Amino acid sequence: MVKVYRPSNLKEALEIISSEKCTLFAGGTDLMVKGKSWSGLEPSFDRPVVFISDLDELRKIKINEFFLTIGGACTFTRIIDNSQIPDFIKEAFIMIASPGIRNMATIGGNICNSSPAGDCLPLLYAMDASVVLESIYGRREVNIEDFILGPGKNVIGWNEILTEVRIPTKNFKIRAYRKVGTRKSTALSKVSFAGLAEIEGEELKDIRFAFGAVGPTVVRSRRIEKKIVEMVSEKKLEVGEIKKMYGSIIKPIDDQRSTANYRREVCLRFVENFLMSCKWR
Amino acid sequence: MEFNISQSVRREDVPDKIAGIAKYIGDYKFKDMLYARTLRSTEARAIIKNIVFPKLPDGYCIVDKGDVPGRNRVKIIDYDMPFFADGVVNYIGEPIALVVGKDKRVIESILSQIRVEYQRIEPILSVEDGLNAEKPIFGDNNCFSDYTISKGDMVSAKRRAKFVYEGEYETGYQEQFYLEPQGMIGVYEEGKVSIYGSIQCPYYVKNAVEECLGFEPYRVRIVQTTTGGGFGGKEDYPSLIGGQVACAALKTKKPVCLIFERNEDIEVTTKRHPSKIRLKSYIDENYRVLGMEGDIVLDAGAYSGLSSVVLQRAMFASAGVYNIENLVVRGRAVATNKVVSGAFRGFGAPQAFFAIEMHMEHIARELGIDPFEFKLSNILRQGDRSTTGGLYRDRILLPEMVNRVIKMSSLEEKKKAFKEKRKIGKLNGIGLSMFFHGGGFTGSGERDHIKGRVRLVKDDKGYVEILVSNVEMGQGAGTTLRKIAAKTLEVPLSKIIFNNPDTDRVPDSGPTVASRTTVIVGKLVQEASEKLKERWSEDRVEVEVQYKYPEGFYWDNDRFEGDAYTSYSWGVNAVEVEVDPTTCEVKINGVWAVFDIGSAIDERIVKGQIDGGIVQGLGYASIEVMEDRSGKIMQRKSTDYTIPTSMDVPEIKSELMCEPYGGGPFGAKALGELTLVGAAPAYALAIEDALGVKINKIPVRPEHLMEVVQNGK
Repeated sequence: MVKVYRPSNLKEALEIISSEKCTLFAGGTDLMVKGKSWSGLEPSFDRPVVFISDLDELRKIKINEFFLTIGGACTFTRIIDNSQIPDFIKEAFIMIASPGIRNMATIGGNICNSSPAGDCLPLLYAMDASVVLESIYGRREVNIEDFILGPGKNVIGWNEILTEVRIPTKNFKIRAYRKVGTRKSTALSKVSFAGLAEIEGEELKDIRFAFGAVGPTVVRSRRIEKKIVEMVSEKKLEVGEIKKMYGSIIKPIDDQRSTANYRREVCLRFVENFLMSCKWR
Repeated sequence: MEFNISQSVRREDVPDKIAGIAKYIGDYKFKDMLYARTLRSTEARAIIKNIVFPKLPDGYCIVDKGDVPGRNRVKIIDYDMPFFADGVVNYIGEPIALVVGKDKRVIESILSQIRVEYQRIEPILSVEDGLNAEKPIFGDNNCFSDYTISKGDMVSAKRRAKFVYEGEYETGYQEQFYLEPQGMIGVYEEGKVSIYGSIQCPYYVKNAVEECLGFEPYRVRIVQTTTGGGFGGKEDYPSLIGGQVACAALKTKKPVCLIFERNEDIEVTTKRHPSKIRLKSYIDENYRVLGMEGDIVLDAGAYSGLSSVVLQRAMFASAGVYNIENLVVRGRAVATNKVVSGAFRGFGAPQAFFAIEMHMEHIARELGIDPFEFKLSNILRQGDRSTTGGLYRDRILLPEMVNRVIKMSSLEEKKKAFKEKRKIGKLNGIGLSMFFHGGGFTGSGERDHIKGRVRLVKDDKGYVEILVSNVEMGQGAGTTLRKIAAKTLEVPLSKIIFNNPDTDRVPDSGPTVASRTTVIVGKLVQEASEKLKERWSEDRVEVEVQYKYPEGFYWDNDRFEGDAYTSYSWGVNAVEVEVDPTTCEVKINGVWAVFDIGSAIDERIVKGQIDGGIVQGLGYASIEVMEDRSGKIMQRKSTDYTIPTSMDVPEIKSELMCEPYGGGPFGAKALGELTLVGAAPAYALAIEDALGVKINKIPVRPEHLMEVVQNGK
């Protein structure tokens, strides 16, 4: 029998996890699969479980002129249904799994699961999102790229809860999100892609690309993004050159869902299509 | 009671299924029931040197080859597959033993402590290696079957030919993915073994268990429990696990339950045979296909199972719906150290029709002629002969069906419009396939092996029970058979009873396979009903009828000559796709179908079969990828082996045309398998149309299309 806690507020939850090592259970859509056992047996959890999906503190969505703040236990459905969140952010969540899973799965859970194929991650990387981690000792904010270290690995401490995701509310005129899955619904990604660009007149101010499911973590390169801005400002954008640069850092693998060649080629084509669609030329 | 046989009625099995009160095998809890889990080979090919078991707690035991009182070989067609590995293992996942006991956690702990010491043997992992095997798995040439069929005069056809075209076509594995995984419970009481389970063929399991235990027939009873889908996957495999739970029940004297987990089921149970088919056609100056040479190689996996008959069906369908008068086709089912290939809806035909439909299209393209004209000018007509020289006795409606599908799908207008769209980078395409399916067992199976018997019992209140060994597994058989009886007897449907078969009560009317339940068993139900009607005034009546091979047909099973089937159903499918130019993902924009299944016994059930079969066929053609690495299947989870969801397929527009079969009930013909057969070639042809590339292999993966596009058209 696994011991479970159902704290009634965030403070209580933080106290529980400060006194013993627990597994935080937000939506459970990944945990229940990981802990799956022979049907008829309880799912296997090696530590006490703390249910945090009902904590009000973790279910808020706030937006101001600087940040969109999404509580860690907000389900994908809650995010999709929120009227304040811009559509292009919602798009990444609409493509995830199936309605049943979207009703349960949470943004905090998806980030803490830290799968390279996590579907909301490329957009969060591209948006320069950060996560807020709280413990009884206080709170800290970590950039998403610093938070996730590798498949299933991140920097959260045993006594911390991911309470908020903070997304700078910068407006991008051009944006693209693509998920290539094994099928149209209830599918894991072969590749996911987020592209954002800010253009003023003919000037490219900012451009960002992030790629999911093509490496141990989401791939993003500020160096190449800077290079693109430079090239455009000098009116010497060489798409082939940019593709070559991305080609050297996108190193996917062959696995049971797709091939390395396909994943890489699709990423490069997304970059090319995105660059070709921008109107500074 | 007058009603139109085709008009849909409410299915009796459905309310309980929707309400969740139907009892599946996992819902049965017998007193003192034990659970079993399987110790499986982790090697593709090895000699078992030794097995070290941990000390077992009280009430737990191992069941293995030493616990098989009869013959440790599963009777399917031959006897090659052991119930429990007998010193050697031939595929990853092959059962070695069961761990049996009360607590699942303890069973898992015991399993994790068992050490099997293997002496590895170089495995055969491809059909190419299998055809040149130094150490064959089976016989001298490593083929479970090696057949040749021929007709006409190939030498003359070659001499007269002006064009020759050769192509090779490849198809992959397909997993049945029934919603309910495999499961059986064995019970031993007073010298008798009863097996409850999710099965298609109660008497197959019965025969296998009798031989396994060495029991007389009266000491083995099989009861079908509500079955959540089969698609062929519960034709052969339940005989294996039925024997296993029988041995376990006999040893423990307690009920023993063996139910597979989904991932286990995906990995170790039978699948559709992967195939490689080479076709070489000889064509004259009027574009008539004079002759064809074929070479069909099926990957049978480690044991023969049903491969010989799957191979026969593939060979007999090799010329598709075309009248090719001179023909030589060789077929081989090759042994490999992989999971056993078995029965799956279509049974060899989907492979053959994919090959011939692509082949015909490629010929037309090579010759620069219109593929429809080419196909229609070679199409089978009433009075033509089949690949085995059998006569097509009934009218073949294909030309009308093709015209109807062209009209329904606006195919011609679309072809033109798509050509224009391609100029602006929009990659739409449409493809059309033509196909048939022979109803019932191949060759003389119904006459020589099955000899199906059907019994009807009327009680003094006027209720009639249908006693057959055929099962309702979601396809609607219970309702279909009841309607046939009610209509023939002219009584209300509510007076006709159909229960899940129990071999203590039902005669052997054969297995629920080969699209035979309506056309063969349904006909027997009709005949029995006619007999019963004559004696309706009696209080309690029991009538039994047995299958009689229809007059005028002929089959020589040694030479594979004559009527391979007594009736044929026909189909035409069109599929429209859109290929994403960036990702090569394929979206299905439309599906149209016309089938000739004779008369429909229930239009809604028929529509269910059509939609389900086409979706399953589209999955086969597209996203259902299953490959092995060193004999281990890579797509072992439902997240990786994906079948289509309702989001992946648009509404399917289908119609029926009817050329009735005199030997079927109310003129009905085969339906279940036919619906799957034509989807794959129509889909692949649509992609060819969209991209202007040649497709020779299914599933058509975006990964493959990307390579083709990268390498330049």
